[in-house]
Formats: sequence, structure tokens, C-alpha cells
Amino acid sequence: MKWQKAMAAALAATMALSLAACGGSDKKGGSGDVTEVKYADIKLGEDYTDLKADLKMMTNRTDMLDEEYTGKTWAQYLEEFNKEYPDIKVEIEGITDYSEDSLLRLQGGDWGDIMMIPEVDKSDLSTYFLSYGDVESVAEQVKYPNRWLYDGEVYGIPITAVGRGIVYNKKVFEAAGVTDVTKTPKTPEEFINALKAIKDKTEAPLYTNYAAGWTMGAWDDYIAITATGDAAFKNQKLAHAKDPFADPGDGTGAYNVYKMLYDAVEQGLTEEDFSTTDWEGSKNMINEGKVGCMVLGAWSYPQMKTAGANGDDIGYMPFPMTIGGKQYSPADEDYCFGINVSSPADNQTAALVFVKWMTEKSGYSFNEGGLPLAVGDENYPEVYDEFVANNVEFIANEPAAEGEEDLLNELNADSELMIAANGNDKIQEIIEHASNKDKSFDDIMKEWNQKWSDAQEMDGVEVK
Amino acid sequence: MGTNTAAVAGKKTFGQWLKSRKGQQTVIIIAFIIIPLLLLFTFTYLPFAEMVKFSFYKMKYVGARKFVGLDNYRALFARKDIVSSLKLCLYYMVGALIQIALALYLATILSMKVKASGLFKGLIFFPYLINGIAIGFIFKFFYTRGFVFDTVLQWCGFQLDSLPYWLKDQSINNWSLVGSSVWRYCGQQMVLFIGAIMSVDDTLYEAADLDGANKFQQFKYIILPSIKTIVTLNIILSITGSLSAFEAPFVITDGANGTGTFFVVMNTIAHTNQKVGLASAMAVFLLCIIFICTILQKLFFKFAFRNMHADDESRSAKKKRVKAAAAQPAAAVKGGR
Repeated sequence: MKWQKAMAAALAATMALSLAACGGSDKKGGSGDVTEVKYADIKLGEDYTDLKADLKMMTNRTDMLDEEYTGKTWAQYLEEFNKEYPDIKVEIEGITDYSEDSLLRLQGGDWGDIMMIPEVDKSDLSTYFLSYGDVESVAEQVKYPNRWLYDGEVYGIPITAVGRGIVYNKKVFEAAGVTDVTKTPKTPEEFINALKAIKDKTEAPLYTNYAAGWTMGAWDDYIAITATGDAAFKNQKLAHAKDPFADPGDGTGAYNVYKMLYDAVEQGLTEEDFSTTDWEGSKNMINEGKVGCMVLGAWSYPQMKTAGANGDDIGYMPFPMTIGGKQYSPADEDYCFGINVSSPADNQTAALVFVKWMTEKSGYSFNEGGLPLAVGDENYPEVYDEFVANNVEFIANEPAAEGEEDLLNELNADSELMIAANGNDKIQEIIEHASNKDKSFDDIMKEWNQKWSDAQEMDGVEVK
Repeated sequence: MGTNTAAVAGKKTFGQWLKSRKGQQTVIIIAFIIIPLLLLFTFTYLPFAEMVKFSFYKMKYVGARKFVGLDNYRALFARKDIVSSLKLCLYYMVGALIQIALALYLATILSMKVKASGLFKGLIFFPYLINGIAIGFIFKFFYTRGFVFDTVLQWCGFQLDSLPYWLKDQSINNWSLVGSSVWRYCGQQMVLFIGAIMSVDDTLYEAADLDGANKFQQFKYIILPSIKTIVTLNIILSITGSLSAFEAPFVITDGANGTGTFFVVMNTIAHTNQKVGLASAMAVFLLCIIFICTILQKLFFKFAFRNMHADDESRSAKKKRVKAAAAQPAAAVKGGR
């Protein structure tokens, strides 16, 4: 009996202690002591080199914590960072189910100093995260500061950003005259002609990956910046647009993006049987030149490269659409660094230093195949060779206007088009109709325009 | 005596009644029944009532809800995609009937004296043990142009060019999917039938053999009447199951290319388009259809099996008996059972 009592007492004591510890950290967090330093003021290598701080960071990249990781690991980045800032120690915690767990940890409050900002409401940003400064000052140093912009303040700096084009097999496309990086197709017409030119050499000039579904939804990501060159199109103009799927007549716009797919299928330039496409197998097929190209984000490039023996044949071309003589690509931000607003001021300063170092000096974005982030950095990884050679401009989507953050979601749901939001079915239908030849492309677009304007009416959206 | 105790009980106080044997009985009954009832209520009826309520709103999972009355139900009938998805159930119903016939046939054969019947039972039951996702992959490859199915048919002398695209061709792809679901569930149903057939008394077969009945007659007059309850149950389950067919189209074709059944469409509307109100209305509507189907089937089987108890009695004789029995109500109850 006695030892049981002793155990109980010990347990109670531990619990009380841990409670006290929680309370303690809370007090420390809620001190309201916020650093005065702004992102733009920090000069790397000169300021705060003797600052002492122990930081904790949460990341989704658990693979980079592993010694076996083929790229550069977190440990290697930190080693480099500590050469310049020996007294700022960063402890990195990997979280496997990041998008869910990070939200829970954020609400719990005790999560450390730096995290990748999960999907929070923008109006809540300032309660959780430190501002890096106003957007003008940050934009002078960071190319894509818009992702977590609220009230003119920047709360997140992207860890990397990716462009969008078409992954293709260079060797196969040589037959279509694409003999060097500048000769990639520039218009939908050139693209279709190129597909025709390689038709006999491949099983499928363009592999649709119809059956996987999400690979179809990927087409939606090309109708904004790639098709308009307009940073405000997706989040600001689309919701108010009258007939956004109508033919603008100049070979650009959403209409011509989807028409490329319809034409390719109708003219037999895609796989023979779309209903049994095989996503995992397609990687090897493009590697071996059985498939000419696939319309997917830049993330797919390393996967196609490593899926077979012919990695060097894989290339990534800008989307074949030219607006006013120029090609565009979106710069889609990955997760962004957010700094805990309730950390002690010294930790916040140290965190700002670390984020700035990651952005400007670490080479993280380059190593991971992303776009350069710091203003003045024009060092693109090889996946964007064709983009650089053709002077493609990278633009990030501007955020929605204030009070309209949910408008696009609303219209997407009501119209059931779900543009860039898992609306895979509608694109699959394009292929079905093109293949069965039972509905013309113009009729499909007319239908979509109707759905869109019905939804606009339902939600009382002003059409401009 | 009964009235006497009742009168006494009426004068008892509540406390006394509680302590009495009858009171204790009631307390225990209520105490025991309240837990399952409470569970049933909280986890079945309450969510269902909520869902019915949702069907009158325009709402997403999060955010504001707007009461729209019967709009969702109107949309249900106005939308072509929903109505046409309901028609796909017919494919699965036909499939279900074929499946039952096949299962019953195999069960009957395998419960007679067959060599290696255990092996065959195992082989036929095996598909049921594979999980649904794996089946999706199996059949995607099975139906791919020039793969398994086409190869087998080519062995049988078919030309590849004359074969259809099993999943691409909209006139045939639903049959392909139904085929996969028959393949999967046939074995399970067969095992159920075998179980029921084994409970038939062996002496009946011996007697039938002596009387010179062949195997088909044995099936018709001994097996079928003995297992009619389980056959009925299986038919009802299969038909209602085919109204809610989901796994095959969802895993194999993702509901695309004209294979989206009612459930697949409902899933898209609820989860991709976030129209929770409309999806709830669809669920309520489907429930009503299932109710109606079940009742109709019940009535049908009552009609179909009305003679089963009086096998050796001719129909006219039975009529006469019933007529006669009508005069004597007690006898009618016994005869009609």
C-alpha cells in the first residue's frame, strides 16, 4: 500500500510540475515584448553576428531531416548558417501531417519561434505572427511577398516558389524542330503542330493522365498568369469577369488553354485509351520517349528525370501562349516562414536573421528546383533553362481584394466549376466530348460561361 | 385476484412500488434498455435528423447557412447529371440478379457431391477477401487496351481491332464495372447460400432419390423452398446495394466518362463542390427510394411465395380450404400462418 501511495504522490507532483512549466512558458510567451527590427533593415553577415538565441522551427520537410536525403539536409544548412551566426542555434522539428497538425500546434500556442504558415484566416495573421514590415520595403528585397499579405503588412516569406509549364522529352521534340531551348512552341497552334510532327515517333504525343483526375485539374493553373499575363486575374478579376471562358480571339485566355487540350484529343494527338491512363507508369513512359509531353507543374520535372535511364532527355518548356509578344509563368509560393509574435524579442530578431539567410544565402530554393527569391538573384536552376532562354516573366498572383477573400471559393462552389480547386471532372469532360465528338468545344465553353454567370447572379456579384 | 392486486398497487406510494418486484423489474428493464437506445439515438437518429435538416439549407461545412426550403429537392430533379446517375442503378440491379443466379447455381453444385469442392469454394470466395482499392487497380489493368482481358480474348480468336475499349466506350463501360462487382461479391453470396443449403435435412435428399427425383427437381422442390428466406434477403440486399453502388466506379474510373453513380455524384457534390445541402437532399431522396424498393420487394415475395407451404396441395384445393377456413376464423389463422 505504501508504495502505491508514494507512486500517486510522485505522479501528482510530476503533473503539478508540468502544469507549472506550461504556465511558465505561457507567461514568457505573452510578455508582449516584440522586436523593433524589420526584415529589410537586416544586413546579413554584419548585423547581429554575436546574437545569442535558441530557436525552434517546425517544418513539413521531414525528409530533409534524414541523413539519407539526396539533396542538402537541414543539418547541412544549419552548419553553414552557424559559420556566420555561431550563437543562433536552430532546432528543427519535422511534422509529417503538416497541414493538419501545424494548425493544432498553432492554436495550442507552444510551437516555437518559426513555422511554415498553415492555412489560417488572413485576419488572424497578426495574432499569431510577426510582421516582416510593410509590403513596399519587403518587396524591395523579396520577389514574391504577396502570399500572406494583410493590411499592407507581410507576414510570410516563401521558402521557395515554382513556375509552371509543360514537362517534355527533348529528344522526341527534336523532330518538331525544338532543337535548342529557344525553339519551344510559343502559341497553341505551334504546340499542336509540334504534337503532329512527333505523332509517329510516340505512343502519345501528349499524355493526358485522364484517369488520375488531379492531373486534369492541373490545367486550371494555366488560365490565369500564363494565359493573361495579369497578376490580378485569378484572385481579383475572374470573380467579376463577364464570360471568362469566351474566346478573346487572339489565341490567349482560358478559352485557348482548354482548347489546346480539346484539339489535341480530337485530332488523336493523345493516348489511345484515356480511361486507363496510368500515372506512375507515365513517368517512365516520358523518360523513355514513348510520351512526348505532359502538362504539369515544375515539381514533376525531377520525378520524370529519375523515372528511367534517360533523365537528360527531360526538359521543361514554358506554356505555349504568348501575350503581347511575351510568355509568362506563375510563381506559385510554397509554404512561407512565419515568426511567432509571442516569442521573446531576441528570438524574433534571430528568427528574422535566419529567414533572411535562408532566403538570400542558403540556396535552398535553387537546390530544391525553385525560383530565386531575393531581388537581384537571377540564378535559376536548370529546370527553367527554357524559361530563361525565352525571357519568360515570372509573376505571383496578387491576393484577393479586401472583403472578397472567399468570393472565388463561393463562385467555384455555386458554379461547380471548381477552378483550380479540384475541378477535375469538367476537364475530364472536355476529353470525353472531344473523343466522342458529341459536343463542340464552343458549346462546352458556353455552358461554363452560363454556369459562371448563374453563380455570379446567385451570389450577387457585380460583373465588370 | 388480478384486479385485487392492482387496486392495492394503486394505493401504494411510488417508493413502495419501486421496491416491489414489479417496480424492480421495470427499473431494471429501463436501465438496461436506455443505454442501447441512447446510443442508437445519438449515433443514428440524431445525425440523420440533422441531415434531413441540412437538406433544407444552402450551406457548406463551414460558414453561414441559409434556409432555402425545398430548393434543394427541386434542384435534384432539375439537374440532368443527378437524374442520369440514378439510371445507372439499373445496370447494377441487372448485375445483382445475374450475380444471385450465378451464386445460387454454384452453391447448389458445390453442395452436392463434387470433387475438390472445398478448393472451388475457396477459389470463388477469394475475390471477396481482396480490398476494394486493390480491386480498382486490378481492373484498371484488366481492362486496359491490349492488357489482360484483351489478351485472353485474343487467345480465344478475337481480333484486337474488333474489341471495344472496355472503359472508354460509354455504351459498355458500365457493364465492365458491373462485371467487376459481380466478380467480387459472387463468392460471398455463394458462401451464404452454401451455408443455408447445408442446413437442409439430408434425409430429404435420400427420400427424393428413392422417389426418383433428379437433381433439378431436388433443387426446385427441396433446396429452393428451404432457403427461400436467405434468397429473399440476398435479393433485397443486392437491389438496395445496387442503388448505392459506389466502390467500383469510384476506384476504377473515378466516376468519370458517364460512370458516375448516384453515390459518386453525391460524393462530388458534397466534398468537391461543398454543396452539403444538396447532397443531404440526395441522401434523403435515396433513402426514400430504398424504402419504396424494399416494400415493393417484400410485397412481391409475399405474392411469389404464397404457395410455398402447401406444395402438395393444388391451388384450387387451397382456395377451397381457405374459403372453408374463412367460416372458421381460428382455423384460418392456423392454415394461413
